[in-house]
Amino acid sequence: MTVTVSASGLGLRYGSTHALDEVSLRLRRGVTGLLGPNGAGKTTLLRVLATAVPADRGAFTVLGHDPATARGRQELRRALGYLPQTPGFHPDFTPFEFVDYVAILKELTDRAARHQEVRRVLAEADLADVRGKRIRKLSGGMRQRVALAAALVGDPGFLVLDEPTVGLDPEQRMRFREVIARAGEDRTVLLSTHQTEDVAMLCHRVLVMAGGRIRFDGTPAELTARAAGRVWSSAGRDVGAKAGWRTGDGGFRNIGDPPEGASLLAPTLEDGYLLTLDGDLAEVTA
Amino acid sequence: MTAPARRQETGREAKETRETRETREAKETREETQETRETREATVREAKEAKEAKEAKEAKAAKKAKEAKEATVRDAARSASRHSLAALLALARFEARGLLLRLPVVLALAGYTAWIVWRTLQPWDDYPVLQDADRATQGGPLFVGLAALLCANQAVLRSRRHDTERHLGVLVLPRAHRTAAHALSVVPLALLTAAGVAAQFTWEALKPGALGRGSAAELLTGPLVVLLFGAIGVLLARLVPSAVAAPLLVVVSFLLFVGAGFPFTGETGAVWTAPLAAGAGTHSYPSGLLGRPAGWHDLYLAGLTLTAVLLAVLLSGTRARTVRAALAAALTLTVLGGVVQTGGVPAVTTAARLRASLTPEKDQTCVRRGTATYCAFPEWTPRVGDWARTVERVQSLTGGTAHGRPLLVRQRLDARRGLLDDAALAPSRHPRQVTVGTAWGGNRVPEFSTAVAAVLVAGDEKTASELCDGRMVTVMWLSLAWQTDPESALRHVRLDDSLTGSAIVLSPTEPLRMTAGQTEVVRALLHKPVTGVAVRVKAHWAELTSPKITTARAAELLGVPAEVGADRCAQ
Repeated sequence: MTVTVSASGLGLRYGSTHALDEVSLRLRRGVTGLLGPNGAGKTTLLRVLATAVPADRGAFTVLGHDPATARGRQELRRALGYLPQTPGFHPDFTPFEFVDYVAILKELTDRAARHQEVRRVLAEADLADVRGKRIRKLSGGMRQRVALAAALVGDPGFLVLDEPTVGLDPEQRMRFREVIARAGEDRTVLLSTHQTEDVAMLCHRVLVMAGGRIRFDGTPAELTARAAGRVWSSAGRDVGAKAGWRTGDGGFRNIGDPPEGASLLAPTLEDGYLLTLDGDLAEVTA
Repeated sequence: MTAPARRQETGREAKETRETRETREAKETREETQETRETREATVREAKEAKEAKEAKEAKAAKKAKEAKEATVRDAARSASRHSLAALLALARFEARGLLLRLPVVLALAGYTAWIVWRTLQPWDDYPVLQDADRATQGGPLFVGLAALLCANQAVLRSRRHDTERHLGVLVLPRAHRTAAHALSVVPLALLTAAGVAAQFTWEALKPGALGRGSAAELLTGPLVVLLFGAIGVLLARLVPSAVAAPLLVVVSFLLFVGAGFPFTGETGAVWTAPLAAGAGTHSYPSGLLGRPAGWHDLYLAGLTLTAVLLAVLLSGTRARTVRAALAAALTLTVLGGVVQTGGVPAVTTAARLRASLTPEKDQTCVRRGTATYCAFPEWTPRVGDWARTVERVQSLTGGTAHGRPLLVRQRLDARRGLLDDAALAPSRHPRQVTVGTAWGGNRVPEFSTAVAAVLVAGDEKTASELCDGRMVTVMWLSLAWQTDPESALRHVRLDDSLTGSAIVLSPTEPLRMTAGQTEVVRALLHKPVTGVAVRVKAHWAELTSPKITTARAAELLGVPAEVGADRCAQ
C-alpha cells in the first residue's frame, strides 16, 4: 500500500526537554493508533504533523506535500482534518454554523456545495438532529462530535485525531469508533489515544511513543504478541512482576517475567503496550 | 658483366627500387595521413556539430520544461490566490451575517430606523433645504457605527476567548485573511446604513416644498463612519486583545468628542479631524456658501478606514509586500484628505458669504407676483409661491392703500461670521421691504406673516420692531386671522409659546413685543368672525395704523371690550 505520510528524524525541544526525538514513521491508508503515556510526545507529534508547530529538526511529507515551503504547507492543510486534544468552540454558534465556518476556512467556497458537505459530515457524526441548537447547550460528547465533524469536513485525506474519545461514555465511544472506522476506509487516520481497546478495535497498525521516541511500530497483533508468555496469574502480587493488579476474581494478574511454573494467561494489547514501555512504566499496584 | 659488377648493378637497382618504394610509400603514407587527418577532422567536426545540436536541443527542451514548470507553478499560484480570495469573500459573508444578527447591531439599526422616521415626521422638518438635509443624515449612523465597532471587535476576539485559535490556525485560510474578512463583514452594515441615508434623504427631497441641492459626499459620510468604526473595532482587537478595550474606547471617545468638545467645534479646520463635522447652525444657506470640504473628508475617512484595516491585517502576521504597499497608499490618502480638509473656509467662499450678506441683490433672482416683488437666492425661487400666498392673504385683510401697496419681499441672511452664527438679522430700513429667511413651514409662516403685517402697518421693519402702541393689535390680527388655527399660530409665534401676558413675538428679523393688554385684545378678535373684523379694519385703517393709537382705542374701533391701561412695552 502507498505511503501517505512519511517523517524522518523529527525533533522538537521545549527548553531541555526532548518533546520529539528522532521520530521517523511511514503511514498508509487506514487507522493508525498512537499510544503512549502522558508526556510521551503524542500531542506534539500530532501538532507537528498538523502544521500547528514546526519541528526543530527532520522533515515530513503528507500526501506528497512538504510543509517546509509555504505552498507545501498550504497544500498539506488543504488535505488535513485535525481534531485537537481540547477543541475550542464558539458557544453561540450552532453545530451547522461552526462546521460551516471551518469549511470556509478550508476554502470550500461554493455555498450550496459547502452546505451539502456540512450536512453530510453532521449526519456522519450523528448530529443532524441538533445541527440548529447552540453549541453551549450541547453535552460534552456532542461537542466532541461537532469537533470531529469539523475535522471531517472537506473530505481530508489525512485525519489527525488527538484523544477524541476522552471523557465519552461507552455508547458515545462506540459511535465515535463507527465514524472513525468509516473515515479510515479511504483516508489515512492517525488516532492518538489512551484507550487500548480503541486501538485494538479500530487500528490496522499501532505506534507506541515514550520520551519523545517511537518505541514500537507494528500491528496490534504484533504488539499483543510481545506479551505472549509474560502474563500470568497468581494468588498474590508477584515480586518479579513489572506490573500487577488484583482482578475481580480476587487473584493477581501479573506482567513481566513469570516464575517457573506460573499459570500463564492470554495477553492483551494493553499487556503488550505496558511491556513495550517497560522502563517508562509506572508501577501498577493493587 | 662480371659477377661483382652484376651484383653491384643489382644492388644499385635494388637500392633504387627500395628508395622509390620508400618514397612512394612515404608519399602514399603522407597522402594517407592527410586524408586520415581530414577524415578525423571531419569526424570531430561532425561530432562537435552533433554535440552542439544535441546540447541546443537539450537546452531548448530544458528551457521548454522550465517554462512549462514555471507556468504550472504560476497557474497553481493564480488558482490558489483565486481560491483564497473566494474563501475570504465567503468568510466575509459568513461574518457579516453574524454581525447583522448581533443584538447591539439589531438594536442600533432599529433605533436608527426609528430616528429617521421620527426626524422626518417632525413638523419643523417640513419644507426641507436639501443642502441641510444631506448633513442631517450623518448623526444616526454614528450609533450604528458604535455597534459595528463593539461587535466587530468581539467577533475578532472570539477565537481567543473560546480558545479556537489552535484549531483554526492549521486551517487553510490564514489569520490575516480572517482579519480582513472581519473588516469586510462591516460592508453590508454600511450598505444598510447607506440605504437608510438614501431613504431619509429621498423622503426629505420628496416633501412638498423641498428645495436646494444635496451633496453626495455629505450623504456618503454616514456609511463611511460605520465602515471606519468597524475597522477600528477590528484593529483594536488585534492591538489590545481584551474585551474591555472597545467599550473603554467608546466611553473615552464620548468624553472627548461630546463632553470636552474643544477643538472639535466651530468652523475651524480641527473640526474635520473628527469622524463627523456636522457644523449645523440654526439657519440654512445657499449651497454655494457652505464651503464644506465633504469630499476631502470622505477621502480622509476612507483613508483612515483602509489604514486601520491594513494595519490589523499586518498585525495578524502577514508579511505580504502588497499589504505594506497598500498601507502606504492608504496613509497617503489619509494625509492628503486630512491636510486639504483642515485648510479652513476657502477665500472665495468667504467672499461669497460677505456678498450674500451685504448685497444679496447681486446674487438673487426677482419674481413679480400680484403687487409684490419677491427676490430670492436662486435655490429658493420655488418657494416664492408660498410667500406670495401669505402676502396676499395678509394684504386682503388690510384697508386704505395698503391693500394694493407694492411690497418687496427680499430674502436675507447673515453669513459674515460663519454659518454657525445664530444672531438675528437686523431689521430693514427700506420702506415696504419685508425680510424673509431661508427656512419655511411651521412657526416660520406666522413669523413671516407678522413681518408682512408689520411693514404694511408701520411702513418698514425698523419702525415695526419698535412698535409699542395699539398698532400691534392690528399687526397681530392681520398676521393670524387668516390662518387655519389662529390661536395656535399666536402661541407659536410668541417666544414663550404663551397665550396670556406680555411676550416677544418672533419675526425673520428683530422680534416685536406684545403687552398683556394687546394679547387679550388680539385673542378676543381672533374669536370673532374674520369677515366682521375685516370690515372694521378696512373702515378704520387710517386710525388703526396711526402712531398715536392706543391699544384701548384699537379695541374700541374693532368692537371688542378692553380694560387695558396705558401701553407699556416693558410690562
